[in-house]
Amino acid sequence: MTNPQLTTPQLTTQLRDAMNPGMPVTILINALGGEGGGVLAEWLVDTARQAGFPAQSTSIPGVAQRTGATTYYVEVYPQTIASLQGRTPILSLLPVPGCVDLVVASELLEAVRSVQAGMVSPDRTMLVASTSRTLTTAEKMSLGDGRFDSEQLLKIAREHSRRLVTFDMERMARDAGTVPSAVMFGAIAGSGLLPFSREHYETVIRQSGKSADASLRGFANAWDAVQGVAAVAAGGDTTSAARETSAGPLAKSALVETEFPMATREFVRLGYDRMVSFQDRAYADLYLDRVRRVVAAEMRADPQALNSHALTRETARFLALWMAFDDIVRVADLKTRASRFARVRREVAAGDADVLRIVDHFKPGVPEMAALLPRGLGARLDRWDRRRQAQGKTPLAMALHLRTDTVTGFLMLRSLAGLRWLRRSGTRYTHEQAMIERWLDAIETAANDDWQCAFELALCGRLIKGYGTTNERGKRNLAHIADQLATGGTFASVSARTTAIREAREAALADEGGKALDRALVEHGAPPRPVVAQPIRWSRPRPVSAAAKPRGVA
Amino acid sequence: MEVSFSNEVRMLRLGEGAQFHGEGILAITKALLQSGVAYVGGYQGAPVSHLLDVLVQAHDYLAELGVHVEACSNEASAAAMLGASIHYPLRGAVTWKSIVGTNVAADALSNLSSPGVTGGALIIVGEDYGEGASVIQERTYAYALKSSLLLLDPRPELAHMVRTVEDAFALSEASNMPAVLQLRIRACHVRGSFTAKDNIAPPVSPLHLMAEPAAFDYAKLSHPPVTYRQEKLKHDARIPAARRFIREHKLNEVFVGRPGGLGDIGLIVQGGLYNSLNRALQQLGQADVLGNASVSILAMNVIYPIVPEEISDFCRSKRAVLVIEEGQPEFIEQEILAILRRSGVDTPIAGKDVLPMAGEYTVEVIARGLAAYFSRVAPELAIAAGTAWLDQTTKRRSDVAAALAAPLPARPPQFCIGCPERPVFAALKLVQQDVGPVHIAADIGCHAFATFEPFSMGHSILGYGMSLASRAGVSPMMNRRTLAIMGDGGFWHNGLITGVQSALFNGDDAVLVILKNGYTSATGTQDIISTPDHDAKADAVDKQDSQVHTNRLIEQTLTGIGVKWMRIVDSYRVAEMRRTLDEAFTTDFAGLKVIIAEGECQLERQRRVKPWRAQKLKRRERLVRIKYGVDEDTCSGDHSCIRLSGCPTLSVKESSDPLRVDPVATVLEGCVGCGLCGENAHAASLCPSFYRGEVIQNPDLFERAAARVRAAVIALFQPA
Repeated sequence: MTNPQLTTPQLTTQLRDAMNPGMPVTILINALGGEGGGVLAEWLVDTARQAGFPAQSTSIPGVAQRTGATTYYVEVYPQTIASLQGRTPILSLLPVPGCVDLVVASELLEAVRSVQAGMVSPDRTMLVASTSRTLTTAEKMSLGDGRFDSEQLLKIAREHSRRLVTFDMERMARDAGTVPSAVMFGAIAGSGLLPFSREHYETVIRQSGKSADASLRGFANAWDAVQGVAAVAAGGDTTSAARETSAGPLAKSALVETEFPMATREFVRLGYDRMVSFQDRAYADLYLDRVRRVVAAEMRADPQALNSHALTRETARFLALWMAFDDIVRVADLKTRASRFARVRREVAAGDADVLRIVDHFKPGVPEMAALLPRGLGARLDRWDRRRQAQGKTPLAMALHLRTDTVTGFLMLRSLAGLRWLRRSGTRYTHEQAMIERWLDAIETAANDDWQCAFELALCGRLIKGYGTTNERGKRNLAHIADQLATGGTFASVSARTTAIREAREAALADEGGKALDRALVEHGAPPRPVVAQPIRWSRPRPVSAAAKPRGVA
Repeated sequence: MEVSFSNEVRMLRLGEGAQFHGEGILAITKALLQSGVAYVGGYQGAPVSHLLDVLVQAHDYLAELGVHVEACSNEASAAAMLGASIHYPLRGAVTWKSIVGTNVAADALSNLSSPGVTGGALIIVGEDYGEGASVIQERTYAYALKSSLLLLDPRPELAHMVRTVEDAFALSEASNMPAVLQLRIRACHVRGSFTAKDNIAPPVSPLHLMAEPAAFDYAKLSHPPVTYRQEKLKHDARIPAARRFIREHKLNEVFVGRPGGLGDIGLIVQGGLYNSLNRALQQLGQADVLGNASVSILAMNVIYPIVPEEISDFCRSKRAVLVIEEGQPEFIEQEILAILRRSGVDTPIAGKDVLPMAGEYTVEVIARGLAAYFSRVAPELAIAAGTAWLDQTTKRRSDVAAALAAPLPARPPQFCIGCPERPVFAALKLVQQDVGPVHIAADIGCHAFATFEPFSMGHSILGYGMSLASRAGVSPMMNRRTLAIMGDGGFWHNGLITGVQSALFNGDDAVLVILKNGYTSATGTQDIISTPDHDAKADAVDKQDSQVHTNRLIEQTLTGIGVKWMRIVDSYRVAEMRRTLDEAFTTDFAGLKVIIAEGECQLERQRRVKPWRAQKLKRRERLVRIKYGVDEDTCSGDHSCIRLSGCPTLSVKESSDPLRVDPVATVLEGCVGCGLCGENAHAASLCPSFYRGEVIQNPDLFERAAARVRAAVIALFQPA
């Protein structure tokens, strides 16, 4: 089935071998709404009709255009209408598990969904699946990484099908300037399971009128992919933050090379460079000093490096992210870089002749201002803001739509980026350093007892991210874990303590409200996090008085 | 609506001998015209929306033919329309989604079937049962039983379905009973062919008007005392007439078991399940693809009324009979048992004892039932290969389940990209952070997608337009105000009367949000009375702008009926919506508070925008395209933005920063630039990562020059 020059009679012969005699060829299409599945089903039935074979399609389009999973099911009876002499085959409207000859899925998870439903069988079904993922909401909304493992999906697809063909249908359609249905049509044709020639399929596409050329391109590429002719390339993207490192200050020095263990060098180098760009060399040296403390602690806990310096590596990673905390200075700097302008141009697919306006959404509030003010002043401002909020007032903040591409907007942001010198004396800086020290101390202390325990604590650095409330929530959770599970609390063994820290960390990423975290804490004998005060607002409706008696009541 | 059905309309015009190619529901529509239907009505709903949509667009041709089409305000009004066939020899057809539509129509159906009809009356219902259904799972059958309606369930093959429509009209006229034709979802969407006939222009029509109304005839009113006689007539005259017609015209089909097989085993099946039954028999080696089975089959294309003689004749010569009937309760099986008992035929009957009581009868479900049944009554049948297949299927499923570390995440339908309803639920999520959780009475419509992640909102759904009414017993008992969500479709369907009028009359303290997107979008963006005018859309300078504000009929109606507290908010303004909701939940005003969330259905807007945009580009005219984006540099990987949106184009990707472990947010291709990302970032004080990219295609000279100057100045100060 790899020869693109196959003709109809040859195909039919192969077909008889592949199928139960007297059974129709069955095709199940798993698509997402808006991919043109309806047109695809129509094309297939039209192709069969024009080739002279009985065929039927059905579908469960449901609320198809709204991106839910949809299925189309097609049966083609492999004997011509003429040879049946007036008899009509009875075709099924429902796919039968294990009795599908070809499953085509435009999305990897949906391919495996049909495997899970039992539709795909290792002795009969050819599975053509796109490697592209359209993530489900459940996967996307996770506080950490909720994505389903694609490798596992591919493995299941491979093990449970007769033959698995995968390629990126989404990209193929995009490259050809068409929709996934044209690509799926090519995949079905290329499978050679249906008794039609390539000409039959292409004629139907041509008859469909507008954008037939793009459809034909998509069709041909998928045909080749299924027949094993084509290969698909991959591409990458880099951020400004990541670029800070490619030729950064430390890359030139040999400092890291000699002092830090091999396995940690990449992160230490990235971290050092990021601190230089974030603040200055002194701050970068502080970063190195901190990593050195962890190296020393890990030497004590694991002198033979049985864990390949994973404690230092992971601490170096999260420490770098934490120390380069996002404040308005940092954001203004990142938003105004040339690499960022280029990336935006690429992301919005602006052509060379197009003019691009970039509107950034900022909402600096009182805490962001206070962060840069000297300790006493900043703390006073913070207290004032909290008092206002406790009275039920809306937090003061400025919702800005800033045109970063204009000279004024750009220079405003550059001047903000130039306020780096204010940072060290600011409240936020002090607060962050104290929190970082608390975390590092806990890691060091834990390392004295047990490497694993310290490692789990290091991974808790993952909880620190974001801005405003998200960032505060993360720090609060980490502090509580450090105080109650790492340094405080009583545990039967150090491994019990380690387990408690790991479970609490995972729970902290389960929900925003922290219900899972509190449950995990209590399970391990620690108190739940203290309740944060929130203004209570009463909105009980007024009781119905006699005067306000409704008209409906006599 | 902006979708064009010109191909479908062409199919409707086909004459004698021409080949029709298309979906089942379109074939049914064509069959109506071939039957000389004079009027058609209905209320949209999957899977039968298409019938009305196509006919509405075919108005030119239908005017030529003399067929009147009415897009009714709900199923009750559609059912009432059939009243035309009580007195007059008019063939009429209406359509809706069942069971819900039949529930709404029930009052009119009772009052229609009691006097009975003179002209054939046909109701095409989409039997929304099984995979892909969007409503509660109940059968239409109970209505046929209680109101004495004919109920047809044809074999799902186009030519046969078309013939059934023609038969149904004749049967309705022969028995004076209104007929219901039920079509399952897959039968509506089955694609096939049949040989067309000429359409028949109705003898009485808008082209050939009746000169005088019918003479007064009390017997045709559903009003006592004639209702007593009508109730008797059903049993004494109409049902017997129907049974006679069914027998004489062989509407039900007997397929005798092939010679050498087990013809003395009988299967009685609803016509609609016939194809699945045949495939199940094939799987067990008991039939071929042409329908030659080893056992005998009675396919009931008319499932109510049942013809006792047909049943007893079929069963008398059988050793055992299995009834294959989808859904609960087993009305047909029970009646068959009663018929056989009365007629003294003692053939053993099985049914729901071997087949599942509830749920869709797929090929696999039927095959499992048959396998169990055959092993009991005909162990000599060789079905080993079939049972091996069933066992393998079970094993395969459990193998896959074991191999998967976690169950696959579900992929329910969700709000479209740029949907105007999504921002309202983002605001609702935020306002509950301030006022505390509220009881939310949800409704039917696209907004029901808010019951899925990431919003997971709604305490109850009581029916289309019922949300406000459904909280009437909750709000007096609750320390906090309750909220009802309603679409404009639901509002006009019945929410105005059952909800608003009732709440005002009783002086209820409640909050109602009406999502005014201009169409009944969930059923396929059909127009309603408050849909923006064609002229408003045509006059709009920027076709991307929402036009729903040009029609204020809902607001005028609410003012007219006495709503004192009403706010109109652009649905995309999350912060403003949050404030307005906050006000509604906390104001001293104790009556009904209505918030109109205005934003035109994005599906409709995009259908308008795409050709407009393509044309502008072709003419090389200036055009601004908006796309949002996330700066990966500053994205924290916490995904709060996704938990407030769930937009299909707001996704996550691997971070290209090697230090980060969690994926970062990203805006995919397909973003329509609705602005929700930015609104949410502001309203919820998220993060500064979101940007709006305004791409000016074919910019004018000045813009180009200004951009060049800007770029040059910026380059002087810009770090890499």
